[in-house]
Amino acid sequence: MAKDVQLLIIDDDPDYVEGIKSTLEKAGYAVDTAYNPKAGFKALESKKYDLLLLDIMMGRGAEGVMVARKINKDPKLREIPVLIITGIREQMAFLFPGQPVHPRFLPTDELLEKPVDPNLLLEKVSHLLSLAEEKKLDK
Amino acid sequence: MENISRQDCSAKVLVIDDEEIVRESCVRILQGKEYIVKTADNGEMGLNTLKEFLPDLVLVDLKMPGMSGFEVLDEIYAFDATIVTIVITGFATVDSAVEAMKKGTFDFIPKPFKPEELRLIVHRGLERRCLVLETIALRNEKEMLREHFAALVSHELKSPLGAVQQNLYALADDLEELLSEEQLEKIKRLQNRIQDLVKLINTWLRVISVDINKIKEQFEPLSLVPIIQQALETVEGQAVRKDISIKAKFDDDLSLISGERGTLTEAFVNLLTNSVKYSQIGGEIQVSVCQEEDKIAFSVLDHGVGIAEEDINFIFADFYRGKNLPEGERSSGVGLSITKKIVEAHNGTIAVTSKVGKGSTFTLRLPALDG
Repeated sequence: MAKDVQLLIIDDDPDYVEGIKSTLEKAGYAVDTAYNPKAGFKALESKKYDLLLLDIMMGRGAEGVMVARKINKDPKLREIPVLIITGIREQMAFLFPGQPVHPRFLPTDELLEKPVDPNLLLEKVSHLLSLAEEKKLDK
Repeated sequence: MENISRQDCSAKVLVIDDEEIVRESCVRILQGKEYIVKTADNGEMGLNTLKEFLPDLVLVDLKMPGMSGFEVLDEIYAFDATIVTIVITGFATVDSAVEAMKKGTFDFIPKPFKPEELRLIVHRGLERRCLVLETIALRNEKEMLREHFAALVSHELKSPLGAVQQNLYALADDLEELLSEEQLEKIKRLQNRIQDLVKLINTWLRVISVDINKIKEQFEPLSLVPIIQQALETVEGQAVRKDISIKAKFDDDLSLISGERGTLTEAFVNLLTNSVKYSQIGGEIQVSVCQEEDKIAFSVLDHGVGIAEEDINFIFADFYRGKNLPEGERSSGVGLSITKKIVEAHNGTIAVTSKVGKGSTFTLRLPALDG
């Protein structure tokens, strides 16, 4: 089991977070939560996470995009794989005109649409984790 | 809007004329509580002043030494097309004034003019500017509403539904061992209906918020045949369930078209899905793709329920649903409206002929690329 794997969810909808948190915890992951970008960064500074689950539409707009960009600029944080969870696949094309509907924010990220099927969620999480593991070994 | 409220205080008028007497009389007549007036004695200076002064209205003499009045007018349109321009003309240049009006000048005033004439024409010109600015503001507001609506709907409707579904998933997982087959079935049903709702909201969002013309940036030369074949594969499952056979016929050597693969596939899938949806069990659907001179025509013919005459003019409208939906079939009322928008963004046309009880034929035509 993935007992010592530490995940962080940044999402401004506590009810939603409860749903995926419960699925992830049942699969054996340790899960922390942050309900806004500020608390999210505080958590990222305080602890080492193996994977970040990030909501794109937070607050009054696409604050999650800002989080993703900020992480991408930080040499330490950009190593963390990011799983983007969004309720707005349809509008992604607007936020990122000219890009495919699946824009890559970070080198390793993946995108899932809310609500997400638990099996798919666990599959993506473990896939991203193993990719990150391989990358570490390569170094 | 800042520009409109400015109209409430004093409007700014710029006079560009090489005759001092005209400039001075304009100032004398207009200067006061209502107007701030500036003048320039040639085109270049006038344009320089314009860029700092940002006038609401410009009076331009057509006949000036140096830069001509026409050139000045062109520069003004290019700078800000909402600025109202009025040309000042001598009798000899009335024809040119008409020429200027054809190009967008609001009106002309012949020299010499009486104070009342000038005041009236300037006043009317400014009313016009108010209207133009208001129209622009309204159009922007509408555009903003449209864009914000998407974000709003997604946050206010989709987010709660997403949270419900996510918790339902977690709950179902927790209870899997404890619940009876029947209870699990109920949860499954809840999940399915929520899933349908989420899908419906997504479709609505697309209709309302997506500016279909953006796809034009991604146009490339495409062959329609593989796209249509892919669409046929997509609907195959639905067709098999209703025991419907789809017969497809493609002309050889079809020209390429210019388009965007994803949306075109969606358009074909929509038309094919409809023909399956509105067909009777065991029916037959005929698909053909052929070259019609400079167009490629795709048509799909079914022997289904057909479209009532009173419905046929509305079937391409957003959220319109015909009355003849067969039992057990669902319609969001947006498939055809999306399809039409996609086809029109491709400079194509879509047409339908139908008879109740006999079936319908939808024909989609796209311009063929040369060579």
